[in-house]
Amino acid sequence: MSTSAATASVEPILKTRPRGLWRTALRRLFQRRSALIGMAILLALILVAALAPTLATHDPTQSLIGVEEVTKRQPPCIHLFGCPHDQPQHFFGLDGNVRDLYSRILFGARLSLLVGIVSVGFAIVIGSLLGATSGYLGGWTDHLLMGLMDIMLAFPSLILAIGIVTVLGPGLINTLLAIGIVSIPVYARIMRASVLSIKQQDYVTADRSIGVPTRRILFGNILPNALTPLVVQGTLGIAVSILDAAALSFLGLGAQPPTPEWGSMIGQERNQVFTAPHLILFPGLALILTVLAFNLLGDGLRDALDVRQRA
Amino acid sequence: MHQRKISLWVSLLVLLGLLAGCAAPVDTAAVATEPAAEEAAPAGPFEPMSMAAENCDYGGLFKAIEAVDELTVKFTLCQPDPAFPAKVAFSSFAINDADYLTATGGGGELIEKPNGTGPYKLVEWLRGDQIIFERNENYWGEKAIPQTLVFRWSAESAQRLVELQAGTVDGIDNPGPDDFATIEGDSTLQLALRKGTNIFYLGMNNSFPPFDNERVRQAFGMAIDRQRLVDNFYPPGSSVASQFMPPSIFGYSDGQEWYAYDPAQARQILEEEGVLPGFKTTITYRDVVRGYLPNPGIVAQDIQAQLAEIGVEAEIVVMESGAFLDAADRGELDGIHLLGWGADYPDATNFLDFHFGPGASAQFGEGFQDIWDALNEGATKSDPAERQPWYDQANELIKQHVPMIPIAHGGNGAAFKADVQGAYASDIGAEQFRLMTPGDRDTFVWLQNGEPAGLYCADETDGEALRACEQIMESLLAYEPGSGDVVAGLASTWSANPELTEWVFTLREGVTFHNGATLDANDVVLSYGVQWDASHPLHVGRDGSFSYFPGLFGGFLNAPAE
Repeated sequence: MSTSAATASVEPILKTRPRGLWRTALRRLFQRRSALIGMAILLALILVAALAPTLATHDPTQSLIGVEEVTKRQPPCIHLFGCPHDQPQHFFGLDGNVRDLYSRILFGARLSLLVGIVSVGFAIVIGSLLGATSGYLGGWTDHLLMGLMDIMLAFPSLILAIGIVTVLGPGLINTLLAIGIVSIPVYARIMRASVLSIKQQDYVTADRSIGVPTRRILFGNILPNALTPLVVQGTLGIAVSILDAAALSFLGLGAQPPTPEWGSMIGQERNQVFTAPHLILFPGLALILTVLAFNLLGDGLRDALDVRQRA
Repeated sequence: MHQRKISLWVSLLVLLGLLAGCAAPVDTAAVATEPAAEEAAPAGPFEPMSMAAENCDYGGLFKAIEAVDELTVKFTLCQPDPAFPAKVAFSSFAINDADYLTATGGGGELIEKPNGTGPYKLVEWLRGDQIIFERNENYWGEKAIPQTLVFRWSAESAQRLVELQAGTVDGIDNPGPDDFATIEGDSTLQLALRKGTNIFYLGMNNSFPPFDNERVRQAFGMAIDRQRLVDNFYPPGSSVASQFMPPSIFGYSDGQEWYAYDPAQARQILEEEGVLPGFKTTITYRDVVRGYLPNPGIVAQDIQAQLAEIGVEAEIVVMESGAFLDAADRGELDGIHLLGWGADYPDATNFLDFHFGPGASAQFGEGFQDIWDALNEGATKSDPAERQPWYDQANELIKQHVPMIPIAHGGNGAAFKADVQGAYASDIGAEQFRLMTPGDRDTFVWLQNGEPAGLYCADETDGEALRACEQIMESLLAYEPGSGDVVAGLASTWSANPELTEWVFTLREGVTFHNGATLDANDVVLSYGVQWDASHPLHVGRDGSFSYFPGLFGGFLNAPAE
């Protein structure tokens, strides 16, 4: 192509190779301590989730009645911290059904990450398709789609999710779907805004003037350039989705027993907050850490990718 | 089922009567409510009211209710009923002022502003917040000790305990099973226990396969480790149930045992019957704490885990309380459901007839004729020694047919501040706060599980409503606070003929309602009559189901055809 010749001729003038947007962003991301902390926690979470069967000391759904000399809601017993060696070791104690809480929390990490990523992934795919179509085509399509999104945005997201789950029936898959559906409007709106501004750029006009098909302009030029805000919003959105899923499970609408899910673990033991605080504390901490990790990372990404700030 | 056929016959007769008797409104199944309540003004001479069924073919227990004179009421029954006094003492059959009943139209104000004869009168019901009662200074008996009584509610046991510890309430109902030790160890609190006069069971509906197979139901009866459930998830004072009847109530069969826990054999039977491998079912329950089931979610999960051990995969379904009860009664629950029953009055009829008798709901599917026969024999005899063998037989038949698996008699209780004198927890959940002295305070605040749905308790079944009604309303007879024995209430004496089919109650003189009206026999006739006669213009209530009346007295007069 002719452009490659032009670049080749310019290259010697520049001291260094021009960095791509993503490389710059990554470098800026690594310079932020909060983002680094977020990434570290997230990495640890992913490892925990992936290695849950190895790291867990017990079967997360098996009741230990008759298996060990333990009673329900026993507080944590760690031999290293002075718990007598003749007692079976349980890092986070036991829950109301005499199951090992530590193992349940490890397996819960899988579920929460899965819920966050899948539901946000679903919302991004559907949302950006709707947003891009709406922004690029304009006219009555735009009015119709954005009107629909406005209606959805008018409901508090958790209430809308509860409504959807009530209609579809409780369960993990339906929770995923409900949270996914509820998050669509945000991504659709962001995508539409990006497309609207990119549509006016010279390179798009150039494409159009030489007769590039609409589909190729949309997917080849506009979408990749509109991704930046989606990535930021998506990362922050995962945190919100995990919280929403936990809230639904807390209410008994999400993951069904005996599935280990942090929200339902807190919900089931809510009345034991004073008698067995470890049952609320550990799943609560796990939730806090996960949400914090995604929020830190999302904030870092926003700063790193913000074009105006860079300019 | 049986009952419905009869009511169909009654309505057919009604229809025929209408056709034959031309346009004039024929008072078919005979309701004579004369004179009208408004005319029976206190000024005029007493004109006794009466109501009667033409005959007993409608299927219920009542034949006639009549006011003999101002202070005497006579009930004529179709069959002998030894438990009649115990039933009459129940709070669903409290006596209302006839004029007030008529003025409210049998619903409306009656539900919000009850007008009784009891030791407390209602001051205000702040919906969603609290109910305030004040001492009835004109009470016929010993006046209440606390000047003011307040009912509040919270569904969370942790919150109830915190409020008690903080001192904002004087007593709480149903502390969490794990809080019993905390309360006992706290010198500022006291714990009052109830005997487990209740039953928690796993119900199965025999109209859905594979539960239509008796061997399958028996196999499930062996598959549940009941001891493990009671040991791990029930508070002290609970016991493993060997049968549907709790031990302290008449009709319990001493020495009867349930199937021994044997998962291997259960699995083998299920495999022989082709149910396993690959059987999937549901465990349905309502997330409501009751004395018989203090830990619903956790018990459901443990049963799920136990069933998984024999290879049955069960999905847990949580339903809203009211919807769950309705679905159970309509026979719509196709898996296993967790439910229980607490005694309303201490007799076998309250447990066995209500669940397994001919008038029972479709909860367990089709009824069993042999159980019906045994229950019928038992209910119509007067001598306890003569009745017991029939209940032994019924309990044995229930074990054979396994409409449900009895799990536990749940011990439960109430907690009070240590300075509350006379604090107690009634076995049937009917605490009388008039007897309690809340230290040097003149207000007693009670925190229970839930808000009453209404305060016209003829049309309520929830214990949360009944307890509130019991402070305001009184029945002909009453249960003694400690023992639960039947004692005099609004009627000072009562007697029956030797066949136990005619019961005469003599009312106390000079008892007044909270609105100032004087109690007379007509109030009794109308209070019962509006419940009994389903076509009565005052048969309105809150939702009109009046569940206890047909449950305890066989059926409504002029019941609508189904």
